[in-house]
Amino acid sequence: MIAAASIALVQLEAAKSGKPSIITVGVASTAAAFQFAVSGAAGGVRAAFGSIADVPHLYAQTRRLAERNQALARANAALREQLARVPDREAVDRAAFFEPNGIIASAIGYDPENQSRVVTLDVGSHAGVRPGAGVIDEDGVVGRVIEAEPFSSKVLLVTDLESKVPAVVQRGRWWGIATGTNSRIALQYVSQDAKLRVGDVVVTGEGRSFHAGYTLGTIRAIYHPEGALYQTALLEPAVAFGRLGNVIVLPHI
Amino acid sequence: MAEPPAWPAVTLALAAALLFQTTLGPAFALRGAVVSWILLLVIWYGFRTGWGRGLFFGLIAGACEDALSPLTAPAWTFATALIGAAAGRAGSTFVAESRAWLVPFVVVATLLRYAVFGLIMHLERRPLGESFHTVLWQSALDGLVALALMLVFPQLRGRYAADS
Repeated sequence: MIAAASIALVQLEAAKSGKPSIITVGVASTAAAFQFAVSGAAGGVRAAFGSIADVPHLYAQTRRLAERNQALARANAALREQLARVPDREAVDRAAFFEPNGIIASAIGYDPENQSRVVTLDVGSHAGVRPGAGVIDEDGVVGRVIEAEPFSSKVLLVTDLESKVPAVVQRGRWWGIATGTNSRIALQYVSQDAKLRVGDVVVTGEGRSFHAGYTLGTIRAIYHPEGALYQTALLEPAVAFGRLGNVIVLPHI
Repeated sequence: MAEPPAWPAVTLALAAALLFQTTLGPAFALRGAVVSWILLLVIWYGFRTGWGRGLFFGLIAGACEDALSPLTAPAWTFATALIGAAAGRAGSTFVAESRAWLVPFVVVATLLRYAVFGLIMHLERRPLGESFHTVLWQSALDGLVALALMLVFPQLRGRYAADS
């Protein structure tokens, strides 16, 4: 009776003061701990039952996702194949971005006896092509126009024996003349003082067909003839002439 | 004796040979050498028609080649015309009688044509784009293709060809 009365008095006192009593705090805390444990267990059980119930749905969803993945993979492969067939158009579009006045053209013909490194383009004077205009693609210098008929033009590739382009070694700004060797490019008349290195990039110098800065190729070998005034470097062309496709004819300087 | 080929067919054949050599030919290059279908056509026509028409047809074919290759004029014109005339002359001899002579003739004709071409280019002070090694490969290719064509199409043999 005395304990019950004490408890009642404590609760009445707490109610009057508006604060939780010590009994309330104790009971609530103890209950909270148990409630946390029980609700956690209940939640786990609920989740387990839910997962078991979801298995058929998950199975169907996984199968759908797998099929979709396969379809996307096939579409991706088809797009890659399309891209592989016409990468040069996209590539030349990227190059054309920097040459808004350039004329996009395709290589349609070659020298009949493979005697000279000349290609025929499908644009001519009717489209604004002029002899002497430089021709590039995304990778670098292709050559220059040597003949322009109304609807076609002929480009002398930079690897032809008769091609001569002023060139600069990008790293040290050493000048030379880039001459074709039929399959590669020789950078001739480079001063003996120039510290050329294999791997140096060579670009065009300012000239009649090209402004400065178009990539010609990369140095692969260097020749220092004894007693000669100049040294020569052999360049690997930047452009893959074996698979020449779309190119850009630059506005005549 | 075989009839001279009709000029529409020959014109068409020349156009086809030019088109093939300027578009797909480089894709079939071996050691940088391509089969010269134009030369084979000129030799065949020369065998069939004699040295006069062979010379004229060689002139036309060579001029077409020079038109499509801006740095060689007029070298192919003269070189191919000469081979056309030589083929026409050889067509009335034992050379046209069997493959054993025709194939070496084609090989020698390729080399001779290139020699004349090289001479004219030298006189024009222009560099030669092919090495002699490549020309040898071309002559071998031309000979092989000529042999294959004669095996597949026996009717292609010259005006005095005997049955094998």
